[in-house]
Amino acid sequence: MPNALSIRGLTKRYDDTRADRRRLSRRREPAPGTGGFLAVQDFDLEIGAGSFFGLLGPNGAGKTTIISAVCNLIRATAGEIDIFGESHDALEARRIVGLAEQDVNLDRFLDVEETLLYHGGYFGMSRAEARRRAGEMMDVFDLRAKAGVRAPKLSGGMRRRLLLARALMHEPRLVILDEPTAGVDFELRLELWRYIRRLHDQGTTILLTTHYLEEADELCEEIALIRGGHLIARDTADGLRSLYHADSLADAYVRAMGSLQ
Amino acid sequence: MSAAVSALIDRRRGLLALSKREADRVLKLWSQTIVAPVLASFLFIVVFGLSLGGRIRAIDGVDYEVFIVPGLIAMAMAQAAYSNNASSVFQARSDKYINDVLSAPMRPWEVNLGLAFGGVVRALAIGGALLVLALVATDVPVRHPLVLALALAFLLVLFASLGVVVGVYAQTWDQHGFVNNIVILPLSFLGGVFYSVDLLPSPWHEISHVNPIFFLINAIRYGFLGTSDVPVEIALGVTATLAAACVAWSASMFRSGRRLKA
Repeated sequence: MPNALSIRGLTKRYDDTRADRRRLSRRREPAPGTGGFLAVQDFDLEIGAGSFFGLLGPNGAGKTTIISAVCNLIRATAGEIDIFGESHDALEARRIVGLAEQDVNLDRFLDVEETLLYHGGYFGMSRAEARRRAGEMMDVFDLRAKAGVRAPKLSGGMRRRLLLARALMHEPRLVILDEPTAGVDFELRLELWRYIRRLHDQGTTILLTTHYLEEADELCEEIALIRGGHLIARDTADGLRSLYHADSLADAYVRAMGSLQ
Repeated sequence: MSAAVSALIDRRRGLLALSKREADRVLKLWSQTIVAPVLASFLFIVVFGLSLGGRIRAIDGVDYEVFIVPGLIAMAMAQAAYSNNASSVFQARSDKYINDVLSAPMRPWEVNLGLAFGGVVRALAIGGALLVLALVATDVPVRHPLVLALALAFLLVLFASLGVVVGVYAQTWDQHGFVNNIVILPLSFLGGVFYSVDLLPSPWHEISHVNPIFFLINAIRYGFLGTSDVPVEIALGVTATLAAACVAWSASMFRSGRRLKA
């Protein structure tokens, strides 16, 4: 079975010009003094089907850039991305990826049920199929009572749940969660963990970014540490602790990040 | 439903959902998106046409209150198609919920077409309501329905696409308001909504022919009244060229992702 996600030579330079993209596609650097901010450079990553993978790094490390490139939300300067063997921009590949972004980016004109139904439509679900799944998602995420409430009128926790329900609405095989529990209270965090773990048990591949190291430790089978757009280390939580001679993942993280300063 | 139609619907579910979402937005905000512009334009017909019209002589043999109706309908529809799409796309970018659409399995032209649809629905609702009110108030005729349909189709394509383009380019709310208030509205007024350009002295008469909206208004006026300041083929040709240019601009942005994706 092909990898759930395969990233080869991903480079993203923001405010890049067409000439920069041409040079980088030939593995040549932009001319000195040209080109914008280099967020990710020559980044490779393979994630096996069915795994629970964590991507950790400080703010500005390039996590959201990598996720945005996978989900076709930015134009990569160079590199190739495949999802289950299909190029990430192919319609088939897009159909099997679900994304819950770090920002709560819900459509302000839609209520909870409409948010799910329209998302199902965008991802090719029939009306009947979308209705069934939206009902299921509202039950799972305890959103049924708020079905007719528009997104801006929901509480922070409810918005987070809706964001996650929307990402899972079309039953993706690869789910990308960009800091899904940021700003969420402890109880909801545990509830979301339970749901995400159940999803993984059903065979869904999960790519998680988080700043909560205990969350990564608790959930992820494998973790990649990135900084400045580069992969520093990749291993299990135990493997990282042993690699950095640390007692906790937090210590390993601090040492890994500090080792580059 | 035939198998072919079902297959087509299956293939275009994303486009249909996005188009419906854009139309729903217009209908949910009906008091702002439809009623307010219809009232504003109808007040122009009442104030300028019915109240002052008796003191203004007929233009091209047409009573003044009838003469201004086609231009007012054109102006209201153009503004509606433009401002609806500019604000809807800008809002979606600003709140980042456009990412839900950009990451979906839809082709670039489907996203472009779906986002443009709301402006078309809004403009048609406003145009239809104004036409009914104008028929009641002024007995405006429709002398060349085919020309009128063609001219309205070009208007919808031109301003719906322009709205999407500006919605993608705009960095602030002010910027899309700027295009409406500083470009579309003045060019509409100067394009002969309230007068025949033939009445203007030189050089204003010639300068008016540089205004693209002048041609649009004349194509629509010909469809209603059978009179135009320029041959209708030229009026339709200029409008169609502008519509094609705006569609090409918008399509190239969605194809390349330029401005939409960092």
